[in-house]
Amino acid sequence: MKKIIIYLTSVILLISVGCTEDVLNEEVYSTLPVDSYGNTEVEVNSLIAPIYTGLRSANNPITIAETCSDMAIAPTRKGGDWWDGGQYKDNRFGIWTAITNNTGSMYRTFMSRVAACNQILYMIENSPGITDKVPYLSQVRAARAFWYYELIDYYGNVPIVTDFTDLSKPVTKTRAEVYAFVMDELNDIKDVIRSDVSPSSYGKYTKGAVYTILAKMYLNALVWNPAGGAKWQECIDACNVVMGLDYSLTTIWNDNFAIFNENCPEHILTAINSPSARMGIISFTLHYLDYKALGTTRRGNNGIAAMPDYVRQFDLDDKRRGDDYSHKPGSFLIGPMIDPATGTTIITAHGRPLIHTIDITMIYGIDAEGWGQTEQEDGARCFKWPFENGVSHMQNDCAIFRLADIYLMKAECLVRLGQDNTEATSLVNEIRKRAFDDPAKLKTSVTLSDIYLERRLELAWESYTRQDQIRFGTFLDPIPGWRGAIDSHYLLFPIPQTSIDANPELIQNPGY
Amino acid sequence: MKKILNLIISFILSYINISRKVKLNSLFFFFGTILVFASSFGQENSISSPGNKNSGDLLALVIKKINTPSLFVANSNTIISDDQQRSITGIITDSQGEPLPGVNIIEKGTINGAVSDISGRFSINVASGNSILVFSFVGYTPQEITVGTQTSINITLEESAVGLDEVVVIGYGTQTKRLVSGSITSIDQKTFNTGVQRTAADMLQGKVAGLVITTSTGDVTSQQSMRLRGTASLTGSSEPFVVIDGVPGLSMNSVAAQDIESISVLKDASAAAIYGSRSASGVILITTKKGKSNQFTADYNGYLALDVVSNKPDVLTADEWREYVKANGMSWETFDQWDANTDWFGEILRTGITQNHDFSFSGGGATNNYRISVSFLSQEGVAKDNYQDRLNVRFSVNQKALNDRLSVSLIGSITQRDYQPNNSSNFILAYNMLPVYPVKYADGTWFDSTDYDQGNPLRNMTYNYDIRKRNLNYFNLKADLDITKHLSVGLNAYKQRQSTDRSRYYDSETQQGRTEGGVALRSFSNDDTQLIELTANYAIKLNNNDISVLAGYSYEDNYGQSSTAQNRSFVTNLFGANNLSAGENMQVGDVSSNADMNRLLSYFGRVNYSFKERYIVSAALRRDGSSKFGKNNKWGTFPSVSLAWRIIDEPFMQNIGILNDLKLRAGYGVSGNQDGLSPYQSLQLYGSSGTYYDNGAWHTAYSVNQNANPNLQWESTAMSNVGVDFSILGSRLGGTVEYYNKITSNLLYRYQVPVPPYLYSSMIANVGKMQNKGIEVSLTGDIIRTNDLRWTASINAAHNENKITRLSNEEFVTSAIKTGSVFVRGGSSNSTHIIEEGKQVGQFYGYLCTGIDASGLYIYDDMIDGVPGLTINDYTYIGKAQPKLTYGIDNSITYKDIELSFFWRGVYGNDLLNFSRLTYATTQWLPGANVLNEGLTNGLKTSPIYNSWYIEKGSFLRLENVNLAYTFHPDLLGINRVRVYFTGHNLLLLTKYVGVDPELSMNGLDPGIEGRNYYPKSRTYLFGINVSF
Repeated sequence: MKKIIIYLTSVILLISVGCTEDVLNEEVYSTLPVDSYGNTEVEVNSLIAPIYTGLRSANNPITIAETCSDMAIAPTRKGGDWWDGGQYKDNRFGIWTAITNNTGSMYRTFMSRVAACNQILYMIENSPGITDKVPYLSQVRAARAFWYYELIDYYGNVPIVTDFTDLSKPVTKTRAEVYAFVMDELNDIKDVIRSDVSPSSYGKYTKGAVYTILAKMYLNALVWNPAGGAKWQECIDACNVVMGLDYSLTTIWNDNFAIFNENCPEHILTAINSPSARMGIISFTLHYLDYKALGTTRRGNNGIAAMPDYVRQFDLDDKRRGDDYSHKPGSFLIGPMIDPATGTTIITAHGRPLIHTIDITMIYGIDAEGWGQTEQEDGARCFKWPFENGVSHMQNDCAIFRLADIYLMKAECLVRLGQDNTEATSLVNEIRKRAFDDPAKLKTSVTLSDIYLERRLELAWESYTRQDQIRFGTFLDPIPGWRGAIDSHYLLFPIPQTSIDANPELIQNPGY
Repeated sequence: MKKILNLIISFILSYINISRKVKLNSLFFFFGTILVFASSFGQENSISSPGNKNSGDLLALVIKKINTPSLFVANSNTIISDDQQRSITGIITDSQGEPLPGVNIIEKGTINGAVSDISGRFSINVASGNSILVFSFVGYTPQEITVGTQTSINITLEESAVGLDEVVVIGYGTQTKRLVSGSITSIDQKTFNTGVQRTAADMLQGKVAGLVITTSTGDVTSQQSMRLRGTASLTGSSEPFVVIDGVPGLSMNSVAAQDIESISVLKDASAAAIYGSRSASGVILITTKKGKSNQFTADYNGYLALDVVSNKPDVLTADEWREYVKANGMSWETFDQWDANTDWFGEILRTGITQNHDFSFSGGGATNNYRISVSFLSQEGVAKDNYQDRLNVRFSVNQKALNDRLSVSLIGSITQRDYQPNNSSNFILAYNMLPVYPVKYADGTWFDSTDYDQGNPLRNMTYNYDIRKRNLNYFNLKADLDITKHLSVGLNAYKQRQSTDRSRYYDSETQQGRTEGGVALRSFSNDDTQLIELTANYAIKLNNNDISVLAGYSYEDNYGQSSTAQNRSFVTNLFGANNLSAGENMQVGDVSSNADMNRLLSYFGRVNYSFKERYIVSAALRRDGSSKFGKNNKWGTFPSVSLAWRIIDEPFMQNIGILNDLKLRAGYGVSGNQDGLSPYQSLQLYGSSGTYYDNGAWHTAYSVNQNANPNLQWESTAMSNVGVDFSILGSRLGGTVEYYNKITSNLLYRYQVPVPPYLYSSMIANVGKMQNKGIEVSLTGDIIRTNDLRWTASINAAHNENKITRLSNEEFVTSAIKTGSVFVRGGSSNSTHIIEEGKQVGQFYGYLCTGIDASGLYIYDDMIDGVPGLTINDYTYIGKAQPKLTYGIDNSITYKDIELSFFWRGVYGNDLLNFSRLTYATTQWLPGANVLNEGLTNGLKTSPIYNSWYIEKGSFLRLENVNLAYTFHPDLLGINRVRVYFTGHNLLLLTKYVGVDPELSMNGLDPGIEGRNYYPKSRTYLFGINVSF
């Protein structure tokens, strides 16, 4: 009997000891351990790809760059739709704070893109499978520089982080330091990054994209790095490099925004969308029942609309405006929405005809600060990227940079430098030629305010209004009927409180 | 015998050398082999067994062995001397003089035994006049009688009102109630809830002080949520850990309610910590019914139940809508063209019919027993799309061998469940659809609306489906071997597989399918669990000292895999979800599959010691290693100790007549919770992250998918518990009072981290601390105790106080977490609750509204921050979702063969957010969408905004069930007993809450909200019959 006890005891011990530590290691099946993937070119490409998929969130600023400037508004609708914690009221009234949701989430998006770039750079540097690292590194550094360019524009003073392995809490750097960092990065890579303009470089960070970022940095240098002085000539030089590459203006303006606009020759950097990775503007802007009139199957949530005065700057003959009845894509969707089944104007749930007016009127529940609710159907909607018939998604690619912008940037610098007005005028006219059938609408000479206006007509909804308004000094001005002049600290957005909570090393921008 | 042991050992030794993946399979083979050997030995043994003549002998032993943790071994060498042998007969009665059938009579120190028959009579041959007979029966105080010269012994067994000798199931063993030192509540068939019982939770609801079981929806496929002694986690569930027949970590769903014999709830850490890193929220031990040797029984239990909607939202009727709209000059022509008068909630709700049939039969021979049961439940929810059909087949076989020293048993269970959860978005549509809209046009075609939050909900329910077919099967092999009189070892091998096949189709004509032109989805998942446990028990009694020692090892392996495919845009709706390839718009992400695993490795031990059964000590230790823990924290240790002092047995207590029992208990222990940890969270991994475009083609992108935290570990709960058990007035009133203090540290939560350097803005980490402390009282008393009439009442009440005490450490800092989002139009980026140091989980946080002013605006207290003007700084604490008190009141009256019981269940002192009222008690949506009647009278003229005006008192008292039963014994067709019963469930609800029902989900960090997709509950009327053969 004793023998049996000894046998069994030893058996139990053996089983227990036989499977210990190794069984507590996790086996992965549908994910990849970081140290065992990324050794071939194909694998590395799939790991770099997030810098491009992440570009789609460059669309997000549409709601910020336009609703915080004088271009657009997301009014609270009767019943409370789009109140959403008052963030759009903050945007419209110029009273955003560190807890305003949308300005904060944009910061977090930009910063997470920077972090992703750092991780990818670390992966490339340590991948034994990549022998020539330069083409890879230059793409990713361009991407990181792009996000820092956005950060300088919106937030100014932000931490500079380049080392993925350093987990210490980063400290805030001044806008000037960040500016210098981005310039160094761009100068390092501008002439080693790929320069081809081809189907294989479509949507990629290329020489054209890097020089466009450079041009933007120079264009806004007086705002972002005033100590360094104006860089108008440098901007022209950078624009010239881009114009020397194989880009060209499309003959038809709308081709830039078409449903199938792949390899559009005017696009310099593009967020590429597909039926699965869609553009989101449709659900932000359309009324719940607009889909009936437009033939798409996606019902909108009735949010963002254009500011009335912005729409009214457009010449009625400007093809970029869009007309009130035929609903041919232009910048705006205006007018009565007709149900094709009945031929009559659609009636909303509030019992009103669905006519998108240019005017937006707050009439219900006006609060102490003057914010109230509008009728559901008020306001011109975004119609720049056409909606596809019979489906619910938008697969239109969305240009981040396009050549028309370069033309206008160069023209602006030429005028600012007081140089020959002929070239500036012809650059502007190249843009206007597509917008008007009548040659009488072309300019004979251009002033700064002509160029300012032309940028607004050409680039509505393309998230440049705020940047341009600041550069032209109109951002703090009153918006008649909506708000008075605002304090200069609103030229920068606040660092969101959630980010400061997570990292006490961050310093809030002055005035917040 | 030696041969067999050699075989066993060589088998086990070879098993050790086999790779881990085949180990479990080989162990099953090994057990199978043992079972075959054991059964052949069993037959041999049954022929030679001296006690074979008396069928009751081994029954007694079997029962004893099952119930005794130390595996008491009968001395099989006892020789019965013929010359002094005599036959004893007698009648056993209870204190009322009623005969007691089924009493065990054992000749002490032998395996000789008998069982009393239906009239209480017994007969047993004993060895000599020195023999001592032990009479025992569950719920009665055992008696020992020395035979002497008697040939007839008539005895009366006294009921032990507090059931001191009842056997209580504890972790890895059993104990008599007398010796229990932890906080354990055990309930059985006598006290289970009646009515429609799907799972053990239905039977337990309201019965155990401190165990709050919440039915938060009328959906018949959903599980109730359970909380024992409060919420103790911010991330994982705080559900108790469920152990069925010794198998840890099972779902309540895996056993049919009818197969449950008893349930033990281990409430404090000193009782639960033996289950280590998963027991911090308490442990529920379920014991299923087993067969009895030489006693064939067959049972049928069936019932039919009607579920009637108990309450539904008070939205405008067509006439009310017309009256209001016209009186207010609103445009109505486009909406009211069909002369319709539709009650949309009425259209999608119904009276549900439930039927249930259970058959079971059990029996056995001298060395074996079995039980087989089949249970079929078919249940319709009150929502027209909601149902479940469940078939459960269960068997248990037990075989003894080697002179009863080896016991091998196999339990198997197969559950097939076809069910369709309710699609609650249809309730949102029912709120919004106008009562003047018809369900169908006059020509029979469906009416529909495409406006915001609108669509025909009945059309959705008629054409769309989301059916799950779930199989759960498991097998548990157990072997127990007595090596010496004191030492026994046990092996337990368990294998489970659960698979679910889901088919979903949204018809292209319906609101849910029209955007995509029809959407079909199929998904399949398969989850496997394997478990091996080895235990050794050593028990010895030296004079007045009882010592037992348990040592154990456990290894658990879980593997899960799943796949999903969907497609969109179908030319025809005929295929439903059965021909995915017919769709024309498959998108990236529409096809996916994945797999994961986790393992748990444990060592545990326990020592129980008692002196004179008066001073009792129990100490346990468990060490758990989990694959889910980070590499820096792979192992956790969970100690516990408890003491009990049976004051009543002290000499100085003997003269205090009023007291019948008095025991003082105290315990302390540390247990863990790893429910908030998913596999792989401690690792840095690449996961697919959408697709990217490259030169005309789309490819899959990969990115690091989380912030890795190699320090991840379990949440750790330290609990102290003090309790008193007492019984007074001739054991007519007994009860328990307990106090506990539970401190959970290393709370898992997703903390905000800076980005960069981290890739993502949140990271799961062990940081916070939370306290739950409370008092529980349960009392049971016999109000009337006469021969024919008996009235027993019991009450249980629990008070728990939850407080978050810390949310930050050096590395992770947060002042407060705003949480909870229930959608109201324009209400995104609102939060309803706050998680903050010093507050409870479930703290409502928002503007304080004191009313509505003459112009229809909310009147806010805007001075919370001391500054006029309403800003976010005026948010304040506006309600608490956790109740101050939960209680149950049970009454059971029996008069001869008639039983009547009624059970009340209540909650006191909590606040609820009536979100449906927030959303729809307004005129804002008129005329195009419907609203609650209250909206016409409350005077509100602005957009609904979350504030304290919508926080309501949540106290309620529910007449949970009323049961009337009659039992009779027809002398017919071998029928032993027939019981017919009527049960009413949820017959009455007393509350001031104005929403649909105040019993709302208490899950997560935003408990206590009635959402606008709330599924109303039902009132149930049930008729049942129970026949025993």
